[in-house]
Amino acid sequence: MRAVRWLIAIVVIASVCWLFPLFHVMSLKTATAEKVAATFNATQFAEMFWTNQLPTALEKTVTAKTLLPAFQSDAAAAKKKFSRSVGLSEGYFYFLRGEGKILSVSDDEVSLAVTEGSTNAEVSLQTGLIFGNALRDGTGLLSANDYPNSQDFNDISAALNHIVETRTLPKLREQAKVGAKISFVGCAEVGDEATDLKPLKVIPFQTKTE
Amino acid sequence: MKTNWRKTLLAAVLATVAILFTQNSRAQDAAAKSKIAVVISTLNNPWFVVLGETAKARAIELGYDATIFDSQNDTAKEASHFENLIAGGYKAVLFNPTDANGSIANVLKAKAAGIPVFCIDREINSTNAATAQMLSDSYSGCVKLGQLFVKSVGKEGEYAELLGIVGDNNTWNRSKGFHSVVDRYPGLKMVAQQSGEFDRAKGLEVMEAILQAHPNIKGVFCGNDSMAMGAYQALVTAGKDKDVKVFGFDGADDVVKSIAEGKIVATGMQFPKKMAQQSAEFADEYIKGKRDFAQKIAVPVEVVTKENVGKYGDYGKK
Repeated sequence: MRAVRWLIAIVVIASVCWLFPLFHVMSLKTATAEKVAATFNATQFAEMFWTNQLPTALEKTVTAKTLLPAFQSDAAAAKKKFSRSVGLSEGYFYFLRGEGKILSVSDDEVSLAVTEGSTNAEVSLQTGLIFGNALRDGTGLLSANDYPNSQDFNDISAALNHIVETRTLPKLREQAKVGAKISFVGCAEVGDEATDLKPLKVIPFQTKTE
Repeated sequence: MKTNWRKTLLAAVLATVAILFTQNSRAQDAAAKSKIAVVISTLNNPWFVVLGETAKARAIELGYDATIFDSQNDTAKEASHFENLIAGGYKAVLFNPTDANGSIANVLKAKAAGIPVFCIDREINSTNAATAQMLSDSYSGCVKLGQLFVKSVGKEGEYAELLGIVGDNNTWNRSKGFHSVVDRYPGLKMVAQQSGEFDRAKGLEVMEAILQAHPNIKGVFCGNDSMAMGAYQALVTAGKDKDVKVFGFDGADDVVKSIAEGKIVATGMQFPKKMAQQSAEFADEYIKGKRDFAQKIAVPVEVVTKENVGKYGDYGKK
């Protein structure tokens, strides 16, 4: 009788442990793989954003032909209508597209005239090293509120800048010739209106020369 | 019959007085319960003292009793403060966390008790615990400082970095923003990267050791101004303060003055007063019924240099 009681107790305990195990045993390799899988991969995310999200957002852009005369006549009104800003920042971003004629080409920029008959550099496509958050924050597609750890959100900036530097800019530098016509899509960050609007410094993520 | 009428009247008057007294006492009680807690990671750093005192002052201006709790960079002490403030009937918490992960549990406890928590300056790694988080855009600020570092130190040479507290997101956002620029210049070699734990004395100690091992460094990037002041002190003692360019981050008054005197090259102004005041205003709005707050609100950082230092002082723009 006593043995039966012990047997029942062992079966009950074994069943409980089987249903609700106190610990799991796994190989170090599996544990590491799980940890990596749980870690945010900014490069992978940026790739997905670049391929899937960004091309569908072009309708959100303002054309350079609309924007430039608008901020030349009333910068505050243009800012209110076409820009976006982040948090409490006084700086702001434009997400724009346009066509223009290449006026000059240097190591760090390609300068364009955009409005009809203009011979002044109105837009400067940045072709040097790309820093900061213009591509991440300029489109309005990504929000810090979706990222528990701001380090992940900041890593997206570095990954997007890297994509532009390695894919968009080499082609642009190769094809940009003075006098050629070029179309572009990109983001501009305005931190200081005195220096950043004339010309408008645009980080391009798409360009096409004719 | 007449006596009964008088007794009834007397009882009614006494009852009315009693009700009025009770109501008055309840009103006083309610007023006494309108308390806001300001929980600060450490008061062993003047920058955080300004942050805490400004938050407290703004809460008082808005009509609340406000108390500052010093967590002394200890998550356990911070947890104990939260237990006390939950039991103490505080209406809101203005919170500067000690640890991005370790502080989440404290915020969740307050949330469960119906107390809103507004993070200031330091982040917690959660988007569903705090009511809102008001955070300096450290990454962008350090991208700008990195660009200035390259311009000032040059594209070649050895340099060192003093990191802040390793468990704090600001430490890494600052470091990553700086490196997103500096690492693009292969001629710039980081020969030492050590934690000075956001502390002046520790910064001095670490810098002394770095100088002994790497006497040829041309610049040092410090994750906050306390460490920058400690590093500068070590450089003065070693007679190298003219050879090594020091960069800080925070916008502390002593560093802003040192920039004006040409001792330190630059810092990132974080506007602690602006963040503290805004968080107290958020708490007031919450108590009055507002619920739709953005989870993470970036506060821009401005670079202070010798050229523009006249515009800055007293932990902000003049």
